[in-house]
Amino acid sequence: MDNFSEVLNLFLSIDNFIAIAAGVLVGVIVGAIPGLTATMAVALALPFTFSLEPVTAILLLVGIYKGGMYGGSITAILIRTPGSPAAACTLLDGYPLAQQGNAKKALKTALYSSCVADLISNIALIFFAGYLAKIALNFGPPEYFWLICFSLTIIVSVSGDSVIKGLIAASLGIIVSTIGLDAVYGSQRLTFDSYDLMDRVSFIPLLIGLFAIPEVFEFYTSKIVPHVRSAVSGASLSFSEFKRCLKSIIRGSLIGVVIGAIPGTGATAAAFISYSEAKRNSPRKDKFGKGEVEGVAASEAGNNGVAGATLIPLLSLGIPGDVITAIILGAFMIHGLTPGPVLFQENLTMVYALFCGILVSSAVLVVVGNTAIRYFSLIAEIPKSILLPIVLMFCVYGAYAVNNSTFDIGLMLLFGLLGFIFNRAGIASAPFLIGFILGPMFEDNLRRTFLISKGDPSIFFRGPITWLFVSLTIASLAFAIYRYWQSRRATYPSLKKTRCIISISFYRSSPYAPCVQGEGGSHSLLNLNFKGPKHEKRFHL
Amino acid sequence: MNKLDADIGEVEERYYGRLNPNSILGLITAALATFFLSYLVPNYIEEPGHLSNPMLSPRFMPVVAGWLVLTLSFAMAIEGFFRPPKHTKAEKLHIGIPKSRWILMLAACSIYMFLFEQLGAIVCGVLACFSLFAASHLREIWVYILGLAFPIIISLLFIHLLNVPLPAGMIWE
Amino acid sequence: MKKLIKNFASAAALSAVALCTTISAVHAADWPNDNIRLVVPYSAGGTTDLISRKVADLMQNELGNIVVENRPGAGSTVATGQLARGGRGADHTILMASPGHAIGPAIYPGLRFNPVEDFKFVKKVITIPNVMVVPANSPYNSLEEFVEAAKNKEVTFSSPGTGSSVHMSGELFKNATTTQMVHVPFRGSGEALPALLAGDVDVSFDNMPTVLPHIQSGKLKALAVTTPKRSPFLPDVPTVSEAGEQYGLKGFNTSAWFGIVAHKSLPDEATTKLIDALSNVMEGKDFNEFLPRFGAVAGTESGDEFRTFISSEVGKWAEVAKKANIKR
Repeated sequence: MDNFSEVLNLFLSIDNFIAIAAGVLVGVIVGAIPGLTATMAVALALPFTFSLEPVTAILLLVGIYKGGMYGGSITAILIRTPGSPAAACTLLDGYPLAQQGNAKKALKTALYSSCVADLISNIALIFFAGYLAKIALNFGPPEYFWLICFSLTIIVSVSGDSVIKGLIAASLGIIVSTIGLDAVYGSQRLTFDSYDLMDRVSFIPLLIGLFAIPEVFEFYTSKIVPHVRSAVSGASLSFSEFKRCLKSIIRGSLIGVVIGAIPGTGATAAAFISYSEAKRNSPRKDKFGKGEVEGVAASEAGNNGVAGATLIPLLSLGIPGDVITAIILGAFMIHGLTPGPVLFQENLTMVYALFCGILVSSAVLVVVGNTAIRYFSLIAEIPKSILLPIVLMFCVYGAYAVNNSTFDIGLMLLFGLLGFIFNRAGIASAPFLIGFILGPMFEDNLRRTFLISKGDPSIFFRGPITWLFVSLTIASLAFAIYRYWQSRRATYPSLKKTRCIISISFYRSSPYAPCVQGEGGSHSLLNLNFKGPKHEKRFHL
Repeated sequence: MNKLDADIGEVEERYYGRLNPNSILGLITAALATFFLSYLVPNYIEEPGHLSNPMLSPRFMPVVAGWLVLTLSFAMAIEGFFRPPKHTKAEKLHIGIPKSRWILMLAACSIYMFLFEQLGAIVCGVLACFSLFAASHLREIWVYILGLAFPIIISLLFIHLLNVPLPAGMIWE
Repeated sequence: MKKLIKNFASAAALSAVALCTTISAVHAADWPNDNIRLVVPYSAGGTTDLISRKVADLMQNELGNIVVENRPGAGSTVATGQLARGGRGADHTILMASPGHAIGPAIYPGLRFNPVEDFKFVKKVITIPNVMVVPANSPYNSLEEFVEAAKNKEVTFSSPGTGSSVHMSGELFKNATTTQMVHVPFRGSGEALPALLAGDVDVSFDNMPTVLPHIQSGKLKALAVTTPKRSPFLPDVPTVSEAGEQYGLKGFNTSAWFGIVAHKSLPDEATTKLIDALSNVMEGKDFNEFLPRFGAVAGTESGDEFRTFISSEVGKWAEVAKKANIKR
């Protein structure tokens, strides 16, 4: 009990509350600005924390981190500009919702699922840090490799109407991700001797280019259509809708917690996995990608579930899981503290004071988020002819800010063009992003595994974790194929009784009738059909 | 959305013929992938002398991804050939765009791309905003005042608050 | 006529500006007469950034306002190359150089600057030793045991990235001992450390602050430190040079160091001023409280000594990179 009062003493200071509130507010705003990420905000705030008390300093940084995680979703929903990489998943359903006049609903969904996920993540941090840290330590290169394999299967569920096109986009993403100096040999890969490309293609320009810029290009190459009022006052999130999403939110949070506890995987992967799982389990899976509240909820839950959990390896092992926690580690060190088991022994009071603050930050996020929604959603009222030039300006400044280089502006516009071509060709951009993020992780861990095993492939199946992810990968692929057949049967009644994987069916019909697809679209992998004057042979592969 | 439909008019749901966007796109990407595999990879990705395992090669991932693109593009081209896609509503929006509209957009992009360091962030922002406003035929004066104020305020915020040294413009020095 | 006046006016203005810059360069006695820019060649939030900001903060009392600016890219070579080119404001720009300054030219092909000739060397501020560590469950308890084992079988060493001081230390060790060591690159110590702790890799030459807590908690065993002198934080651990004398490791010296460099045109008086200011800072209580938090010791070399140090580093890494076949 003595301890408890000490903790309260340390925590209950006005400074701490100001730090949390200011941190969350700054995080939300910076996170919402395209090109400026939570990482940048945390890095910029770091010098300010030199003179603060350790608890206050860390809480300020954690506040910015959490605010930034949510803030990224605001502009993703309103102007299709993910403020942070993880929000790229939120826009898949958030932006269509906003375009249908439901901006407020999308924003509220994002906020509440973020807060619930944040809370779950914090609870995991406080009570299960020890267990989760053990998992992190058992994650060697082969385990990572299978985790990435499993994550790659989500490409299927974010490919939109055509899985082939999605896979092409993902492969292109992988190709782009290999540009730069090779990680093992240091040899140049497709850099064309340009210094700007040696450190790989910058992520933020690619992200903005892929999602935000095509909106600008699209607008100026289309007829001027009257502005659709998205009605900020429009429907808010109803309780029944929230209840419907709750399962996805909790699932997403848990996915986020596990991914967050494993260093080096990141919030973006968590968001996409959570989204994909929600889509797989939802009765409304056909609506995903066209403005489904549950999709927004799942992806936000996934990425915010990571926020608390990345502190697990940091606090209990002293291992930073991502760039932000690396910066927070720096803040600890500046104040003469060393995260890790020693911290729990020597500064237990401080750790608990931190936990109190982190819990409070979830509540602060609700308040700050609600205020932010009120003002930010005014953006939806601005006609595109005025909004888009300003968005473009923000994007340019933001892309420049990443490396202070004009090369990145060109890069952003180039990826904008690619995204525009993708849009016109009906290719989803999300798989490209996933390929770009996961491709290098896949390659790195594949190579690392071979390096540490000295070439022995049996290491790929060395323990229960590898087997778990192997089976998850197979299950996920099997499910994708099953779903594909199900949707085909729904589209082509004549296939109802076919059981084999490759079917050849012959039937008479008007030349194009069977092509009329349902709302969800059939996920066709390959169709061959030979058309004759009177009947038609179709080979469905 | 009703107004939008009215503007576009009736859209008949026609299918493309054999020469359809999917097939063309598939063939183009297939060609690009061939170029990538046969020219770019061998010439621009160096391989170390001896490798204990082919999967360790710097060329491994690009080649795998390249072959994936190649095969999938062919699949897409074939699929498009036998099962052509439909014309969509959105396509009608792309026809008959005044040239000035997208040329002004290209101008704005070029300003950002090529003149950012020379003219500075503020001037580029103003010029680009103006040309984009003009592309939408905006006539109201207040919009242009906004286009003047925004780049100035935002770049000052970036420079002084966020510590991002946006270029001030070389020719003004 | 109007045009002529305009032209004349602008020409006059231009020459006035030019004159001012020359004057400022000549009157070094008043240096600094403008804000000093401290360029950090890595992104904000990293170790280099942290140290730079702290040092800048402390130096402000001596030299007036110092603006810290991050210019990351291609190791640290983008920022370094920019400073080497000089140009406007170069006389008020200083750069926090780190091992990348000397390793970069060995790894990145065709850099258009000379890491020694194009700069004026002010002072090395901080040296952080690297520590040769093995996992707790490793069979090796000393450097000798490790080298003997590594002569007969392949062992792996990890690093947070190709071209980091951690990686290059490993390559240097491998060259000197002619052992069969295989480099396993990770991205950042966040990924590298778990693999080391779990025993997936055999050894690492990681930076002191990264591994010190784990050595203290018994999860890692320290075999040696890479500096010529033992570290005050691990007084019982021998140096690589002393423990590995019989394997040709005598004189083995690698570390993560941070020091201030400037463009070669910086007047000597300004350099002296900078050195004095830094020396004052480094004697101060604040700086000496800050050092142990990073397992660091204060740098000693300044001026020409620092230049000699860098040129020896440049030579050393160029050779290592060539042998390891990193530069291609």
